[in-house]
Amino acid sequence: MELDLRHVSHDYGGVPVLDDISLTVHEGEILCIVGPSGCGKSTLLRLIGGLERPAGGEVLAIGPLPEGCLNPLTFVFQDFALLPWRSAAGNISLALEDHIASRRERKKIIDGVLSRTKLSDYASVLPRNLSGGMKQRVAIARALAVRPAVMLMDEPLSALDAQTRELLIEDFVALWERQPFTSVYVTHNLSEAVRLGHRVAVLSRRPGRIREIVAISGAPGSRRRTDPQLAEVEQHLWQLLRDEAAEADQELVHGG
Amino acid sequence: MTSLTRRRTLGLLGATATLSILGTPALARSKVNLGALRFTSHAPSFVAYERGYFADEGLDVEFRFFQAAQPMAVAVASGDADFGVTAISGGLVSLAEKGAAKVIGGALAEEPGIDGQKILASLAAHESGLDAPAGLDGRTYAITQAGSSFHYMGAKIAAKEGVTPRFKPLQKVGAIIGALKTGQVDAWSIVPHIAKALAGAGKVKIIGNVSDYIPDYQVTTIFTQAAIASGDRGRAEAFLRAFSRGAADYNAALVDKTAGDEAALAMVKLIHKYVYADKPFEKAEKSIRNGAMRINEGAALNMASVRDQLAWFKSEGLVKPEITENVLVDPSYVKIIG
Amino acid sequence: MADERAKTARPVPYRGGGFRPGRAGWVAPLVFAALIALAEWGTRSGWIGSLTLPRPSDVAMTLWEMMQTGRLWLHLGPSLARLFMGALIGVSAGIALGLVIGLFTYARAALVPLVAAIFPIPKIALLPLFVIWFGIDEASKYALIAFGTFTPTVVSTYGAVDNVDRTLIRMGQSFGLSWGSIVRKIVLPGAMPGILSGLRVSLAIAVILLVAAEMLGAEHGIGAFILEAGSLYDLERLFAGVAILSVLGVGLSYVIGLAERYLLAWRT
Repeated sequence: MELDLRHVSHDYGGVPVLDDISLTVHEGEILCIVGPSGCGKSTLLRLIGGLERPAGGEVLAIGPLPEGCLNPLTFVFQDFALLPWRSAAGNISLALEDHIASRRERKKIIDGVLSRTKLSDYASVLPRNLSGGMKQRVAIARALAVRPAVMLMDEPLSALDAQTRELLIEDFVALWERQPFTSVYVTHNLSEAVRLGHRVAVLSRRPGRIREIVAISGAPGSRRRTDPQLAEVEQHLWQLLRDEAAEADQELVHGG
Repeated sequence: MTSLTRRRTLGLLGATATLSILGTPALARSKVNLGALRFTSHAPSFVAYERGYFADEGLDVEFRFFQAAQPMAVAVASGDADFGVTAISGGLVSLAEKGAAKVIGGALAEEPGIDGQKILASLAAHESGLDAPAGLDGRTYAITQAGSSFHYMGAKIAAKEGVTPRFKPLQKVGAIIGALKTGQVDAWSIVPHIAKALAGAGKVKIIGNVSDYIPDYQVTTIFTQAAIASGDRGRAEAFLRAFSRGAADYNAALVDKTAGDEAALAMVKLIHKYVYADKPFEKAEKSIRNGAMRINEGAALNMASVRDQLAWFKSEGLVKPEITENVLVDPSYVKIIG
Repeated sequence: MADERAKTARPVPYRGGGFRPGRAGWVAPLVFAALIALAEWGTRSGWIGSLTLPRPSDVAMTLWEMMQTGRLWLHLGPSLARLFMGALIGVSAGIALGLVIGLFTYARAALVPLVAAIFPIPKIALLPLFVIWFGIDEASKYALIAFGTFTPTVVSTYGAVDNVDRTLIRMGQSFGLSWGSIVRKIVLPGAMPGILSGLRVSLAIAVILLVAAEMLGAEHGIGAFILEAGSLYDLERLFAGVAILSVLGVGLSYVIGLAERYLLAWRT
């Protein structure tokens, strides 16, 4: 399935946040969206996922759903959004219960995604006993369980420390390598974007417009953290962002 | 003197001011807090107050009004009231047992030939066949509290008829009247001025007389703190003398009707100040006249009745079995009858 | 040089401590026992009059006799039934309405002021009205207790719903969960801590109202027993009844503690 955004714009109480965004997300690609803080990245993701209605323009889904898809547009949230009263397996089950009546079938799916995210030993553990990285892996497993057409990831690694983030990037890439999926990945971390993205869309400061879409060559799995080519792309992205970020920063101070 | 005293009650706030202006004569007198209910059975207290009989005895009386007999007994025990006039209740007996209260005289009594307390049935119960106390079996019978005079009356009536009603405690007379009007309870017994007013308004039916079941029933007694009964004899005697004068006036005016129409009307007017004060005089007059019951002459006490009541409290386990009548009554004050 | 330093060396003064009440489980029983001992000694020596306070040992004897003769169960049975039925009705209706207020804009706009208006009404004052509405028997007693537990439950429930993490609800929506599933699996468990702490208050109110409910037309029941003892000025029985109510309160609090441990195991 592909996503097509046509002239999407949005505002909050008259204050424009997004302005005329047109964008296509191709099947099997990871599209990263970066931008200065407050540029409407997360809002854009919620518009794509149908959690908010755009003030102008439209978001279209094109093409057939993948087989067995239960929830075409599935979010992974920055703060994990796990129910604290349910175990890892229970949290994954939550996403399935409305769609699959058979307990055994649910268990099969849960076991499958738990093993894919290397969580099989933690099925019955409550979130409070899991580290931040483990929690996000449970959230990713939950997203995988519903076989999404597109995974919408809202700064999924921002709440984690640097080492954990590095490990999860590797896991995430490995997941994609084994079974490619389509994803829109919002982040403010440029190195994350260049490691994971097939393309990186750079948004301007508020109201967010697309400044540039940068394509990154090579499969994500083949990239290394120390790759000089990646560093170059990252540097380029930073150049694009820098002025916007500085101005956005000023604006926040003045505009309050 | 009378007018001065009367004015004192009218101006509640002015009371203390007036007292201090009056100065010495007020100080020389003995201050008495008298517990009362707004029932015609308390008329002797009102008469003695209004006609200055208390003042003649050197007593400076201040009324303390209560909603029920039991709290009055507690108020006497706690020293908040010096004298009280009300039915013998389990609470009063318990307080006497604790050495806090003592019965020193008798007041309201059932007497053959005088219309006394009535047994009532709700309209619903009456319609379904409760037209005589014999039909009380399995019916609900309203009482204020366990060990109250209503409980005693109901139990005695039931025992004589050989029936077993279910006693429903409703705490307050007002609550009982409400429950009786709406048919929530089936039966009750109460002093005639209330009974007749209710029956006259068509809200309840009168199905019997208490006096048929408990002849010579000593309904209310005069009691005081045990300390006053034993240690302040002069004051207690003065109180009883004044009370007796009030009782004599009341009996002559409304019970025996020997004092003439004018005296009767004056008596009704006096009582109306305290009882049914919120009703127009014409309405209140009938109830007050209808409700007249004998107040024992000289505050005499019917000891046989008191004995019977005490025995009943004991048999019901409402008071301690070891209590004797001497604990409850100091018989040295008034004439003992029965 | 080193000597100089040694001379001026001094320990850093400790400034922490306090403001952190710890646990001392043995204190409560000790204070309790001391107070009872004081009352016992006072009543025995005559320092406390028999009109002021009953002798604790007499109260204990009264309780023991009540157990022996079965009168305790005669009174406790109806009271527990009234508490259970009244609280069940009031709490379940309160949780339901609290959820409705917490979830729907118009219900909130319409009902919050209404609940605020009902909350401070002394429910005891409505007893005569309840007797007219529901009759003098059990129904009016259930109604009084139900009404008394209802309002605090409503308030604590919608407050608890308001406090449910919105991102969890958003998550439920993003997974396409039905409205009912979101309420049942996310809102209700998320509101449970608030609901249970509200229940502590509601059930204490239920015990208070039990005595009031038994003022009208109750032949048996702890409240009726206390009122009767009060009217007979039988202090031993009065205190025995009060002790039973206290135990009832402690028992209810314990039951809620168990419920919290079971339902909110995920929290600690």
